Amino acid sequence: MGKIKVASQWLESCAGCHMSFLDIDERIVELLKHVELSSTPITDLKHPPEEGVDVGILTGGIGNEEEKEEAKLMRSRCKILIAMGDCAVTGGICTMRNFFPTEEVLRRGYIETESTVDGEIPVHEDLTPLTDKVSGVGDVVPVDIFLPGCPPSADAIWFVLTELLEGRMPKLEGKVLKYGMDGG
Amino acid sequence: MSEVQITFNGKKVTAQSGQTILEAAQAAGVDIPVLCYHPDLSAWGACRMCLVEVKGMRGLQAACTCPIADGMEIETEAESAVEVRKFVLELLFSERNHYCMFCQMSGDCELQDAAYRYGLDHFTYPRPYEKLGVDATRKYFIMDHNRCILCTRCVRACSEIAANHTLNLRERGSESMIMADLNVPFGESTCVECGTCLQVCPTGALIDARSAYGGREKDVTHTQTTCMQCSVGCKLDVVTRYNRLLRVDGVFGSDPNGGLLCVDGRFSPLYDERKRVKQPLVRRDGKLMPAGWDEALKLVAGKLKQGGVEGFATGATTNEALQAFTALFEKMGGQAGMLEAEAPELGFGTEGKISDLADADFIVVAGADPLEYQRVIGYLIHRAADKGATVAVIAESENKLSDRADMTVSYADADKVAQAASEAGKVVLVYSLAIKGKVIAAFRPLAEKLSYIALSPARNAKGAELAGLKQMKSNGAATKFFLMGEQDADESLAEKLNGAFTVVQASYLSSLTDKADVVLPVPLWYERTGHITNLEGKVLPLNIVLPMPDGVRDDAEVLAHLAEML
Repeated sequence: MGKIKVASQWLESCAGCHMSFLDIDERIVELLKHVELSSTPITDLKHPPEEGVDVGILTGGIGNEEEKEEAKLMRSRCKILIAMGDCAVTGGICTMRNFFPTEEVLRRGYIETESTVDGEIPVHEDLTPLTDKVSGVGDVVPVDIFLPGCPPSADAIWFVLTELLEGRMPKLEGKVLKYGMDGG
Repeated sequence: MSEVQITFNGKKVTAQSGQTILEAAQAAGVDIPVLCYHPDLSAWGACRMCLVEVKGMRGLQAACTCPIADGMEIETEAESAVEVRKFVLELLFSERNHYCMFCQMSGDCELQDAAYRYGLDHFTYPRPYEKLGVDATRKYFIMDHNRCILCTRCVRACSEIAANHTLNLRERGSESMIMADLNVPFGESTCVECGTCLQVCPTGALIDARSAYGGREKDVTHTQTTCMQCSVGCKLDVVTRYNRLLRVDGVFGSDPNGGLLCVDGRFSPLYDERKRVKQPLVRRDGKLMPAGWDEALKLVAGKLKQGGVEGFATGATTNEALQAFTALFEKMGGQAGMLEAEAPELGFGTEGKISDLADADFIVVAGADPLEYQRVIGYLIHRAADKGATVAVIAESENKLSDRADMTVSYADADKVAQAASEAGKVVLVYSLAIKGKVIAAFRPLAEKLSYIALSPARNAKGAELAGLKQMKSNGAATKFFLMGEQDADESLAEKLNGAFTVVQASYLSSLTDKADVVLPVPLWYERTGHITNLEGKVLPLNIVLPMPDGVRDDAEVLAHLAEML
């Protein structure tokens, strides 16, 4: 059997979950004996190839149309999809804008902030419209594994990957099941 | 109460009849999850986390309210029960805001612990994202309704432990909300900021302003000591991290207060803004300057040796300091006494315990305002009234207890109260300085069934009494020695020094230290060892929570040292 192909993507996020993944430190050497990293936001390939990958990791929540499409793309090209981090699992901290109407959020951010002079809400063909509410990935595509944490600890990420490599669906409990920064 | 045999998860245990399944489980070391249950509050059965399967009973039973019966077979982790618990948790997480990432309770939250226990790794149900209020109108703690799971522990704590009945629920279903009085901001309500609700809240809904985000249980240190703010002597659990005082908690089940504290003991001391005396100060050329201990003590000893000294102590210090104070004055001659007055002797009746309030039929409060000065006594009187005791207040001026007392009369009508009390079984007389001779006379006939609780203003009044110190007036001595401890100095003290050489042993600067010739620093309540004696005569220990700063020395030690130097 060849190496397991793993791809990842970050959506509405801070990239902290990818940093936490890198916190597996030297274990990455062991990991790469069994895993081939396909597309990630920090390598050259940005999207999984058409023939798909075995495991997809989505970090970040879904807050605009482009992120929705990215999530759907990952789902269609991954056999197993992991929602990693509180933002991917529940929308996380990005959901703070869900308590306000979207126009109010845009107005506050682009016009009303105290240091802004002559602001305007940008509209451009390259700018994707915001969704009404920020949500976790699971609201848009079916998710196989939820790994909460802000970020999930490197040990939790290592646990999930090694369980999968051993052919088991990881069951989170104890030290690897932590919400927020509780694991940190 | 007899023994019964029940089975938990196939294992036979012996339990006491009259217990609930939960009580029996806890006694047997069987862990059933709870959220709305708290061992010091009445059982409520609202959260449905403690549901268990009982053989032969239809459906699931709430362990916290279901009484055990002989032969009962209970499965605490039955699949049906676990499924319901998971469902309850998912419903709780689908409402309001239970994101852990920016909550100060994360890591120590009972809701979070329950979710970990049942492997909740995502929210199943969509969330309404409603923005609920955050009430920060009180000074010391905040209520965030977004974190509230409506367990009503706070409501029960406020009515059962503090007996204040400020909190309640309003509306129904998903509109339910905790409210104060008739839905007013907490800061404008009858809330007395005793903080009992804060301590029992299982989630981050009630937040202590000072200790929020300051450290989780794994980071902090707990030290038990005794409160020094009044003569009740409540047991405290003081939470610190490194050298920082974070928070004061009550110790449930402890004597004499059972875990109930008051704003004066739980919050105010951590917000004290008075300036501390951090090292000895000596007046040179008209100005108070920092000095070394040797220099300061030599100067004081020199003056003491000259004679003509009078000493005034306050109750804001330890038994050991008060005894050393007496010993010093015995050695060198010169009168020593207290600044504060003592409550007068009744001359009859038995000295009561604080616990007497709980089973009294009739409580008389005469010339005292415990809700203001010994608040826990006031709360315990309210609690007794809730249980059916008659409360009568005899006072000439406004008294906070009158609101909920059965009768309030002036001193002239003390007889009426004595008359009513004569029909009662057990009478407790709580009194302070302002009690009048007329009142004392009115109650003398009830001596047989009367026990009294004397509330003297000095915090460690009993300690002073046992050290042989009584209130004393100045005799115009040339040298005055004040053992102030943490007590605030009344303005008149500085005015009446009349040029005497003044030595002040105090924790804080004041109008008195401003006029002193020598100021010697005293440690604060959380830096002390030693003991105080509470109003019941119980000797209670003080433990060092944080070390005293360099430059400060224990007042008992300093007084003993001065005695040696004479």
